[in-house]
Amino acid sequence: MKRLLFLSLLCSPLLAADPVEADFYKITTFATPKETAMEVGSIDLMPDGKLALGTRRGEIWVVSGAGSNDSSNVSYKLFASGLHEVLGIAYNPKDKNLYATTRYEITRLKDTDNDGRADVFENVNDSWGVSGDYHEYAIGSRFDKAGDLWVTLCLTGSFSSAVPFRGWAVRIKPDGTMVPTCSGIRSPGGIGFDADGEAYYCDNQGPWHGSCTLQHLVPGSFQGHPGGNIWYDLAPNMGPRPIDPLPEAFQANRKEKRTDGDPDRMVAERERIKQLVPPAVYLVHGKIGNSASAIICDLSAGKFGPFSKQLFVADQSHSNLSRVYLETVNGIKQGVVIPFRSGFASGIIGGRMDEEGRVFVGGSDRGWGARGGKPFCFEKCEWTGKTPFEVHEMHAKPDGFEITFTQPIDPTSAGEVKSYSMREFTYAYREEYGGSEVSEIVPTITAAKVAADGKSVRLTISPLTKGHIHELHLDGVRSAEKLPLLHKVGYYTLNEIPVK
Amino acid sequence: MTRLLFATLFAAASAQAVEPVVFSVKTMTAQMKYDTAELLVQPGQPVKITFENGDDLPHNMVFCQPGTDTAAMAMKQMEKPEEALKRNWLPDDARIWAHSKMLNPHEKEVVSFSAPEKAGSYPYVCTFPGHALTMRGVLKVAAMGDKLHDLQFALYLGNWQKLPDFSKLKPHREGKIDDNLIQVKLDDYKNEFGVVFTGKLTAPKKGSYRFYLSSDDGSRILIDGKEVVAYDGIHPAGDIKEQGITLEKGEHEFRLEYFQGGGQIELYAAWKGADTQITPLSTWLHPKWQGGTKKQKEFDPIPLVVKDEAVIYRNFIQGAGNRGIGVGYPGGVNIAWSAESMNLSLIWRGAFMDASRHWNSRGGGHEKPLGYDVLQPTGEVTPAFLVTDKPEGEWPKWDKAKRYEGFHWLGYSLDAKRSPTFRYTWQGVEVEESFRVEGDGNKPEGHAKLVRTVKVTGKLPANAWYRIGSGVFESKDGGFISKGPVPFRISTESAQVAGQNLVVPAKTGTMTITYQWAQ
Repeated sequence: MKRLLFLSLLCSPLLAADPVEADFYKITTFATPKETAMEVGSIDLMPDGKLALGTRRGEIWVVSGAGSNDSSNVSYKLFASGLHEVLGIAYNPKDKNLYATTRYEITRLKDTDNDGRADVFENVNDSWGVSGDYHEYAIGSRFDKAGDLWVTLCLTGSFSSAVPFRGWAVRIKPDGTMVPTCSGIRSPGGIGFDADGEAYYCDNQGPWHGSCTLQHLVPGSFQGHPGGNIWYDLAPNMGPRPIDPLPEAFQANRKEKRTDGDPDRMVAERERIKQLVPPAVYLVHGKIGNSASAIICDLSAGKFGPFSKQLFVADQSHSNLSRVYLETVNGIKQGVVIPFRSGFASGIIGGRMDEEGRVFVGGSDRGWGARGGKPFCFEKCEWTGKTPFEVHEMHAKPDGFEITFTQPIDPTSAGEVKSYSMREFTYAYREEYGGSEVSEIVPTITAAKVAADGKSVRLTISPLTKGHIHELHLDGVRSAEKLPLLHKVGYYTLNEIPVK
Repeated sequence: MTRLLFATLFAAASAQAVEPVVFSVKTMTAQMKYDTAELLVQPGQPVKITFENGDDLPHNMVFCQPGTDTAAMAMKQMEKPEEALKRNWLPDDARIWAHSKMLNPHEKEVVSFSAPEKAGSYPYVCTFPGHALTMRGVLKVAAMGDKLHDLQFALYLGNWQKLPDFSKLKPHREGKIDDNLIQVKLDDYKNEFGVVFTGKLTAPKKGSYRFYLSSDDGSRILIDGKEVVAYDGIHPAGDIKEQGITLEKGEHEFRLEYFQGGGQIELYAAWKGADTQITPLSTWLHPKWQGGTKKQKEFDPIPLVVKDEAVIYRNFIQGAGNRGIGVGYPGGVNIAWSAESMNLSLIWRGAFMDASRHWNSRGGGHEKPLGYDVLQPTGEVTPAFLVTDKPEGEWPKWDKAKRYEGFHWLGYSLDAKRSPTFRYTWQGVEVEESFRVEGDGNKPEGHAKLVRTVKVTGKLPANAWYRIGSGVFESKDGGFISKGPVPFRISTESAQVAGQNLVVPAKTGTMTITYQWAQ
């Protein structure tokens, strides 16, 4: 590591003008109405370029002019107040109403007299339980392609499940019925869809979670925390209750050595528990974030820069956005997370991109603290039109990885093995809170072959380790213009090693 | 109690040999704070802190040198997160001189150290990423001040409402106080007497000093014949009065005047200098001097003010279950409706709700109504409707793990003044309930009334009852008076007392119920 850093210092031109994130992605902070603390918990798009913001204080604001290049054009109208914490807001183009996911209910809000304030509040569904514990957050999605709303229900105190469906993801159908969809949720931070409409949520570091994660909500799956599995009797559509993961501490603390592998590894438990879906991407704790929240997919077809169809994951504590490229290997989602943009004003909780490629985010630092420093914020992140030199995609191969870039690469530096370094690690899958990076392996990078078109490189790595996070540093790689990468690290979660 | 507490502390205060001090510090659940913002110790004093993590995130307690920018120190770790992770987020920083482990949720550790010899403010902080901005406190190291010397007392007899001019009175008894601590130890007098204490106090240097005083009943402190702080009149010793003064270096005349009317006898005095801790001058120690720590204060209130429109507040309201909907109506009457039992849970008057509990930190807990005269006519979360052939029997009790069968919550609509009409179904029958206020609930004599309208559409099952009150009711003037802690009157047509229940036979159509505080 040290040697690599030294090398990169020698090679790099050490210009004061080395690119920074703000050269490529600009953050605009909006002024918000003085009479409230705009602790944004959820954002959705409305017709005519308007936005709906749901807040932790239970308000819904309709925002106009946030897309304008002049941020002073923004205006706010209080649409509803007094709701129990709006951590999901969804505009339904069919009935033209807003739907709020609150602590114990999905509420349809109607403005029957068209005065810009809701006057009818209808219960769409309230069939999950609420025990009065503060941690039982309900985080709701916008509408999916089928017209369903997805809700992830935090465990009681984030450890156990005192009332039905705490620790579950459920779907609310257009007719208002609830379909229990996934078990194993711990403490969700956000929910969203990829370009194909597949649903994902972020879970947070804690019991059974060594790190925050981005998880694929496959209907019928078990997402890893067994606390809520006591409710399988109430969800016959989900089939039999999965067997529980083994709660024991990780191998280093174990008295006897086991001969049948490490049961406290996700990769081992997947063999035993057939419903268990591994995290698609570990949002490596302390490095990518500490408190993963909103999931935003780039469907702007290039208006947000070169990362079309990729996911952007926000973090409350780090006040940042990270970028995720996903692929499917052996039917399982996996991929890489790369830092993207830091420096938001407060802890990010809600986020949404519009068709013009503007990312609207907002949040608050309340309860967990955030690097941004402001108690709450509502902001916009836009592409400046300049393309950063970044890893574009990272694909798993049977013997290594293929890495594509946003700009042509310098074949000399990119073709040298010493321009790269890698370490592999995982987290124990265990009941104890959090956990460190364990089972570190430092593989050998045996080859770095630049493609003929000069846009990608093929790394041969020995060994690849199934279930491990492969942390790749590309400190020595330069663009054709001899610039270093804007972000020189990526963390690839290798759930499956492809056969070809 | 008071005396016992004093005994341990005073040992530290009086002797030069410093006794160990024991503190308990907890992390506040869901608030990203320690429950203790300040710890007060003497230079070199052995300190034992029982540090308990009641929160559900990891936390530590890291003590640093005075002037350390603890937030910057904690933040700096993020430059090399891998190394920081290996150190379990304990910064590698020479300014750290003591620390706990990184405690997992619900872990406990006893941290022991000797306080620094140098007086000053030593910050402590949680260095887990993101916590340092709010999770911090100060260990204050300061020596104890001097005691009084040459302390004498003079006892006077008399029945006063305020401190008399003792100079015009003749003492009944005089004497010397050997331990030089102000005390009231008069086995022969319980009521109607006064004591004047006189002695000398040495200021170690010229500077500002502060005097603290509390008593039951009146008292005042004079320095060099001039009144510094007074707490005159008949009262309990709830408050501590304090006042600053500049003193020249050297000896000063100290005088404390006290009188007792009747009842409790209490007298507390203390002083502090720029470099010294609050040092008791009396044998008794005021319970508010919390043994060297300053606990975190509650949040600043965020009252939800009701003006000319109704205000709705859906959150955890104490007494209204977990699906409570608070409504503050213009006219100073408020209710909490339960979207769980589909019933009125609470009525109160005056101010509506304080949102500070829910709008600060992680927002945990149930908040009680902000106003007064809180009524709970039928219990916390019990439905009004029941099919029973024994209306005098028990109504279903709330089980928060279960939902009431037969009820379905539909929501509410708001009228022009934002007053809600609640809607639900019971056994397939549609019910609408709305409320209006008469009189003025903000005034005790405002004759405030809450009028509840219940509209039932559809065919009810046989033997359906609607309960409007539980407890003991007395029929009077066409209404029913509740004998509960806050007396109130309920009236409606065809109400009847059935055992501990006040019930109405449920029927299709509209029913009006009036709730009124007994004047």
